[in-house]
Amino acid sequence: MIRLPLVLMFSALLFSAGVYGVLARRNAVMVLMAIELMLNAVNVNLVAFSSSLHQMSGQVFALFIIAVAAAEVGIGLAIVILLFRTRESINVDEVNLLKW
Amino acid sequence: MIDAPRVELWAILPVLMLFGGGLIALLASGFARRAAQAPFALFTLAALAAAAASALWLWNRETTTALEGMVSIDRLAVVATLALCGIGAFGAYLGFHYFERDDFRRNEFYALLLFALGGMALLVAAADLIVVFLAVEVLSLALYVMTALTFRRGPTEAAMKYFLLGAFASAFLLYGVAMSYGASATTSVQGLARALTGVGGSQPLALVGALLLVVGLGFKVSLVPFHMWTPDVYQGAPSPVTAFMSAATKVAVFVAMVRVLDVAFGSLAWDLAPAIAVLSAGSMILGSVLAIAQRDVKRMLAYSSVAQAGFILSSFVSPEREGIAAALFYLISYSAAVVGAFGVVMLISGGIREQTGFERFRGLGRRQPVLAALLSVFLLSLAGIPPTAGFVAKVLVFGAATSAGYWPLVLIGALASVAGAFFYLRVIALMAMQEPRGVDIADPSPLPRLVLAVPAVTVVVLGIVPGVIVPLLQEAGVLTW
Amino acid sequence: MLTEYLPIVAMAVLAVAFGVASLVVSRMFRPHRPNPVKLSPYECGNDPVRLPRGERFSVKFYVVAMLFIIFDIEIIFLFPWAVRFRQLGLFGLVEMAFFIGLVFVAYIYVWRAGGLDWATSVEAPADADLASDSPRDPMAAADEELAAAMHDAEVAGAR
Repeated sequence: MIRLPLVLMFSALLFSAGVYGVLARRNAVMVLMAIELMLNAVNVNLVAFSSSLHQMSGQVFALFIIAVAAAEVGIGLAIVILLFRTRESINVDEVNLLKW
Repeated sequence: MIDAPRVELWAILPVLMLFGGGLIALLASGFARRAAQAPFALFTLAALAAAAASALWLWNRETTTALEGMVSIDRLAVVATLALCGIGAFGAYLGFHYFERDDFRRNEFYALLLFALGGMALLVAAADLIVVFLAVEVLSLALYVMTALTFRRGPTEAAMKYFLLGAFASAFLLYGVAMSYGASATTSVQGLARALTGVGGSQPLALVGALLLVVGLGFKVSLVPFHMWTPDVYQGAPSPVTAFMSAATKVAVFVAMVRVLDVAFGSLAWDLAPAIAVLSAGSMILGSVLAIAQRDVKRMLAYSSVAQAGFILSSFVSPEREGIAAALFYLISYSAAVVGAFGVVMLISGGIREQTGFERFRGLGRRQPVLAALLSVFLLSLAGIPPTAGFVAKVLVFGAATSAGYWPLVLIGALASVAGAFFYLRVIALMAMQEPRGVDIADPSPLPRLVLAVPAVTVVVLGIVPGVIVPLLQEAGVLTW
Repeated sequence: MLTEYLPIVAMAVLAVAFGVASLVVSRMFRPHRPNPVKLSPYECGNDPVRLPRGERFSVKFYVVAMLFIIFDIEIIFLFPWAVRFRQLGLFGLVEMAFFIGLVFVAYIYVWRAGGLDWATSVEAPADADLASDSPRDPMAAADEELAAAMHDAEVAGAR
């Protein structure tokens, strides 16, 4: 049995790694991956709580998050593709024009 | 055998109308990709009317929550849904005119609009954090796509930015949800409230969760530390989409915040109100100051909407019925003014290649007196100058904050209003006093002017006789739990 | 306790054994007559212009990936339902039929919108004059020229 605080710390680290990735990366696809990392940290959190509370709704929530994350990735990829159509280039690994 | 849950679909009838309409519109746009868009616009208006009618039908329901406590049925949700349907109707018409003028067939616009509205109508009724999350995501995903809908470079970059920052913010929202679930062993908003008072679970965990929840929702309404996306997205998005999202998103998310803050934080209002006051003051100051420096009307209105979010939030320091009614009145008057303002900007900017710099508005009073007059009414209301609804809204909101003892916040708000009056009036002066330059690219058609007169009349009527809706809003200011 | 996992182990062993067996059997029976043309990477009969490694993927693959992710992920709702299929009974069946119906609506839209056509999925829409007049910074313009040149080189190489 893995103890709950350890899992929560792991998920907090994962989440922080995701936050770092979002702030440090300039490539849109990389930022998208970092956001996925954050969402999966949340999933780890929910499942850990769900198992320690002996209650299912956390796992159900995790399923919803996975599905919504997939929809988000779909829209993210669509916008990346659109961005590259407007730049008349088909190479997606050149997205570097984000300035914030 | 697992017992089937009670499926009380009547409780979310307005949401079902919107989503059902959206699905039909989506299928139709798949089969009729290059067809004329007038039937789509009419169908959208019909779906909005059906949703509004079914929301009205819920007004006198006795039940409190439905669908296993997932959604609440109360007058707050009804009023917010009606406001959303109204905004959606203007959004649909403005979008129709925008795409029709350039003969740009993008019939998915109507499906996306209905999906976004469905998410918003669900959000205003959400009583469970799962529903809050799903509703926020549905409305956001639809709005990301709507932002990029013209397939041009500026809108696409705006959509990219909106999407990445929005997904970043919803990750924070989710982390907050996970924390509050861990604290209270349930995902309901009420469970979070119980955990926050220390009754059913870990209080510090619940507090972290609640604050992260406010971060996630604060992003969607562009409160100040989370407003970075607003100017770029409002400027980059097509004007009808900006009009729709600036009004409808604020209505939906602020009502959700009313619910979360009122229920979850009601018991420790004394603890959380200072944090809300700081967010509110920051938004009012920074939004007004940064708006002064802008040279583009859409960008200026974006910063002004940041400031307006701060004004609305300032009523949240008093978790009383007056506070909620004031916030609702502010939301309605703000929505009417901002939909109208972006609508006029859309007509002036000359087609899909929008030109919204200040020079377009120079001397508009000579060339386009009707448009200039309409825009002036909307800007006066946003500035909060007496014969308009914006003035009444500010009085109500500041009254609520004063009664809760937050007079420094009211002082900051008053100063921010003065600074705000400067940049709104500067545009009016630009239109009235200066000589026009360059060619006139404004849209000459009469029907959009007539349609935009509706929010203008609303703004003026609510400014002169606010009594027509205030008692209604006070009735809606009671949450049923 | 651990014996509960025996069926899974047996399944895993069977799966590996099937994979290995198919490879071994096909290697034993297939003809093996290599020549230099067969061994070179296929590029329309020309000599390869450059190595496949480091090659960029066409954006078409991103469209496929996007659609795949969305339709693939629906299985996570089917899976818990399948595990408790009998207990959920008719209610579960009706709900799931409704859910599949909704996914099907999205599928029909994708099909009608041309998302499944390999040839046209990357064509620019005919009615959008893409970015023809939007202001560009010089860096972006240079990037685009470079990309266009590389694209031309690719086309020439293919010919």
